Amino acid sequence: MRKLAILAAGSVFLALGGAGLLQRSGGAQQGKPAPDSVTATAIAAGDTSDLYGPRQPIFFRHDIHAGQYKIQCQYCHYSVAVSNEPGIPSLQTCMGCHMVISGSDSGGKTEIKKLRQFWADKSDPAKPHLEWSRIHALARHVHFPHSRHIQALGPNACNTCHGDVARMPQVFKVNNVTNMGFCITCHTERKVNRDCTACHY
Amino acid sequence: MSDETPNEGMDRRRFLTVLGATGAGAMVVSGCSTERIEKLVPYLVQSEDQVPGIPTYYASTCTECSAGCGLHVKTREGRAIKLEGNPQHPVNAGKMCSQGESALQGLYNPGRLTGPKTRQPDGSFKDVTWDEAIAALAGKLSGAAGKVAVISGAGRGTFSDFLAEWTAAAGGRVVRYEPFAHEAMRAANLRTFGTNELPAHDFSAAKYIVSFGADFLENWLSPLENQRGFAKSHGYDNGNMAKHVAFAPRMSLTGMNADEWHPTKPGADTAIVLAMANVLLSERSGNPADSNALRGALGAFTPEKAQEASGVGAEVIRRVAREFASAKPSLAVAGGIGNQHRAAVDLCAAVNLLNYIAGNVGTTVNFGSDLDGGEGYGALEALGSDTDGGRVSLVLVHEANPIYSLPAKGGFAAKFKKVPFKVSTSLYLDETAALCDLLLPGLHALERWDDLRPRRGVIGLMQPVMQPVFNGMATGDVLLKTAQKAGGAFSRFNAPSWEAYLKTQWQTVARAQGATDTESFWRAALQRGGVYTEAPVTPVRLAANAGQIGSTPASFDGSEGGDSYWFAPYASVLGDGRFANRPWLLELSDPVTKITWHSWVEVHPELAKRLDVREGEILRLSSPHGNIEAPVYIYPGIHPDVVAVPLGLGHTAFGDFAKDRGVNALDLLDAKDGEGFLPYLATRVTLSKTGQYKKLAKTEGTTRQLGRGIADAMTLDQAKKGLTPALALEEQGHEEHEINTEREVEAIHGFRESQLEKRKHGAYVGDQPMWGMAIDLAKCTGCSACVTACYAENNIPYVGEDEVRRGREMTWIRIERFWEGGGDTGDPLETRVIPMLCQHCDAAPCEPVCPVYAAYHTPDGLNGQIYNRCVGTRYCSNNCPYKVRYFNWFAYAKKAFPEPLNLQLNPDVTVRARGVMEKCTMCVHRIRGAQNAARLEGRELREGDVNTACAQACPSDAIVFGNMKDPGSKVMALKTNHRGYHVFEEINVRPAITYLAKVLHRTEA
Repeated sequence: MRKLAILAAGSVFLALGGAGLLQRSGGAQQGKPAPDSVTATAIAAGDTSDLYGPRQPIFFRHDIHAGQYKIQCQYCHYSVAVSNEPGIPSLQTCMGCHMVISGSDSGGKTEIKKLRQFWADKSDPAKPHLEWSRIHALARHVHFPHSRHIQALGPNACNTCHGDVARMPQVFKVNNVTNMGFCITCHTERKVNRDCTACHY
Repeated sequence: MSDETPNEGMDRRRFLTVLGATGAGAMVVSGCSTERIEKLVPYLVQSEDQVPGIPTYYASTCTECSAGCGLHVKTREGRAIKLEGNPQHPVNAGKMCSQGESALQGLYNPGRLTGPKTRQPDGSFKDVTWDEAIAALAGKLSGAAGKVAVISGAGRGTFSDFLAEWTAAAGGRVVRYEPFAHEAMRAANLRTFGTNELPAHDFSAAKYIVSFGADFLENWLSPLENQRGFAKSHGYDNGNMAKHVAFAPRMSLTGMNADEWHPTKPGADTAIVLAMANVLLSERSGNPADSNALRGALGAFTPEKAQEASGVGAEVIRRVAREFASAKPSLAVAGGIGNQHRAAVDLCAAVNLLNYIAGNVGTTVNFGSDLDGGEGYGALEALGSDTDGGRVSLVLVHEANPIYSLPAKGGFAAKFKKVPFKVSTSLYLDETAALCDLLLPGLHALERWDDLRPRRGVIGLMQPVMQPVFNGMATGDVLLKTAQKAGGAFSRFNAPSWEAYLKTQWQTVARAQGATDTESFWRAALQRGGVYTEAPVTPVRLAANAGQIGSTPASFDGSEGGDSYWFAPYASVLGDGRFANRPWLLELSDPVTKITWHSWVEVHPELAKRLDVREGEILRLSSPHGNIEAPVYIYPGIHPDVVAVPLGLGHTAFGDFAKDRGVNALDLLDAKDGEGFLPYLATRVTLSKTGQYKKLAKTEGTTRQLGRGIADAMTLDQAKKGLTPALALEEQGHEEHEINTEREVEAIHGFRESQLEKRKHGAYVGDQPMWGMAIDLAKCTGCSACVTACYAENNIPYVGEDEVRRGREMTWIRIERFWEGGGDTGDPLETRVIPMLCQHCDAAPCEPVCPVYAAYHTPDGLNGQIYNRCVGTRYCSNNCPYKVRYFNWFAYAKKAFPEPLNLQLNPDVTVRARGVMEKCTMCVHRIRGAQNAARLEGRELREGDVNTACAQACPSDAIVFGNMKDPGSKVMALKTNHRGYHVFEEINVRPAITYLAKVLHRTEA
């Protein structure tokens, strides 16, 4: 428990510092974005090989949670409106629902079982802990206050940078947020602060 | 290429190895890509008081010295990243010192013990579990009944009470050992006033301060509180300022801040005090009635006799005495490490009389506070003879390191080794722990529950602000568990945990404070950081034997004679050596000598000439008790027949940072007891050249200002007249530099116009703040707390001894120190100190020369430095008149933060890579953070929303930061002060930092 907590702290620190890109190498990977209508539940849990983005330890379906069930982003990423950091939901947040929700199809059931296993093993430092692969990571010399952007663009503005996550069975990087041009384009269009020390310090 | 520093040696083989490794690496990651998969580990359960990205503050108490200052610990994502002062705390009122700041490097020190260990037959340590360790202690304890001894550190609180009870149950006793315990002052107070408590000193009320070797700004009783008070009284305020006169063999940081420093013959200062007291008694009316009884005893001490004994002129003594007498209230202070000679009790007793006669007792010297100083050396010496005689079979050492902090000559180590079973709770493998049989590493003060009673009325609380870094256990818990295992006499220690025990004890505290709801009292205290009440001042009268005045000069070991000199060890940044494993403090240049990382011996220029030594030459110092070798630093602020060496280095254990670094000045001392204390200033040494040389790793450049007008000063009269520094200089006969020809003036004017024109365009338009700073040199003491605060806040890497030697230290803010007078000038030696940091010039010379626009001006008036743009041409640094830009030559951060020191890094500040220029940002991350927070609340920034780390820490409040466009701001009030000036005004760079000239309280002849 203690070890995990330290690990969590250390890892969030890395997250804050940011370090490099996280796209899986190999541009040859052929992915297909999810279809417009939310019928993506048909994708088998194990069959993620042709999806964009890194494969995660649990096949967490943003398209089901945010798309089909229309759960607000901030339900899980709770600190995005108040802090620089959006926050990775704790396992407890997941278990809040999945204590009772076990999934409707076999794929979902398998994944929720994994989650419950991680939760069950939480007090045992010898057992593996959940490690998500990071998708959006800014360089260490960039400081991005999420809260200010949510304030300016509204609570549902996540997709401006992160793409339409509500339609992604597996999250991948839509915009190259590590490219400063991406930021500057928007800041120029909206005539907002373009001072270097707004982000770089 | 390698990021390592060159001192590691790069021979051909190593070069090829590195080249090979780099090549292999390149094949895998294809070129210079930074791609790597990063993992995010979610919390299992989100802590309610932690929001990622937002700091959580916990109130705590500093345990670095016995002053017990209040802390606000800034934590991010569950780890402490910065210590700030608790503004509510009566001792430090929100201020910090370097040592306190560096507690984080104690917490995250790579030399910390990772868990309990026992010694094996072959002498090595073996890891054990806590259950095994506690069983081992409990087992030994039952066999050692009545023969247990505990050596603990100074901290007085619930734990020390508990420890005393616990030890009593074991049939033993506790020595609360503190190397700098002010025992001489206690003994003197007992003699003069019949109480051995340590009084509180109110420097803020004193109008005239005389110190007799007491280094009250660094290590005397409550240094931060002293400094706060000193800045209040001695800092110039509207025509008023106290005067400070120092009599001491060596000019310490305190001496540097004196308006007059008079070098005295070591051990002979009592005569001066008594002569002053005599002058007061015979010339002044209105002395306390009972002090007249001293007339007879004091009559014999004339200034002339004092001159004979001490070497200080009789007319000086008489004048100082008269000035002292006419200022009400005044304050005389004495004692402390730098002046702890064999007659220190006489000296402190004489100062007591002087204060009493002057009517200061009850106004600036207040009994009743009962300051904690621990027990001293005498008690430990008695313990030593017990262990020698086999009367101790189990010793427990808690937060003390007597093996290091006692002179080896005394043989305490040998006596200690005779104890069959030795236990240490030290967090580090220090000299004492290295001799022990069982190591039970405790928890750092930031990881555990505890409290501290530094003085009557003040109880500081400590709470765990984070999970322990290593597998330590609070010593309270260890002792409780051991007691429960041992049973018998220990059976009353049945608290389930140390936390529970502490909380139970606090119910008593709550009831004593009149609280009915103890739980809410506890919570409120925890939030506030403790309980702070005013302790009533206890009136004291002269004791019957107060008139028994001793004035015999202190005796010294070693031969008197032409080639022997007094040896003055003193405490500086590293204190008694407990801070020697913290790289921040090792790299912090000594406030007086500006030397880092190693030991040195201070030699007066006259003596250096006589001995024909130059700076860096290694001298061998020999006393009857031992020898040390250290390089020479030529120091005008020392009595010509005294040589001085700082304490704190020369460790033989205590982690990689401290071990085998420098020399231990205690090696030259005997451990012979004075009057219950260890006399530090008690030896004479002979000097011999070794023929070796070591370039000093110092940050001092030129020691003189050479008319450059960097740290300006004016006399009190000039300040009262409202003169500007330039006019003051003119009055002193200096000619103003005539640098501005007509053409130059035109050019300057044109430049200003063009600057104003630029403000009409782009991002520079609009009503934005303009950040600036004012630094009052009348308040700055040069203590360097700002420097350490900046290191902590801005992830500044230390560079190490060799790199400092090459002039590559990274101090974004540094204290420059210059001498005035002294030497051949015939004027008295004076010091000027000035914090030097990026001036954030409006017309910054660094900006136009940057080929990649890495150095540029932000719309809110900062001189920005964009690391990701910087390509490292270093043109900016070459063009900076203030030399405040620092180049990161070797990715210092990679080496400077070995695990777990990296956990201290501030996530809001980029850790700079190799090859970029870096410098003071005026804590732009704090500004942006405050701006973001304000905008989220839908308002603009207000005065007080944001402060820089240096200004926040500054114990003197010398540094003030704020918005220069706000006419009502504190910073503008100072900037418009007549004492304000810019360094190098004539080069027209228009700095955002205004300095206020120092004010000299000289006695005009």
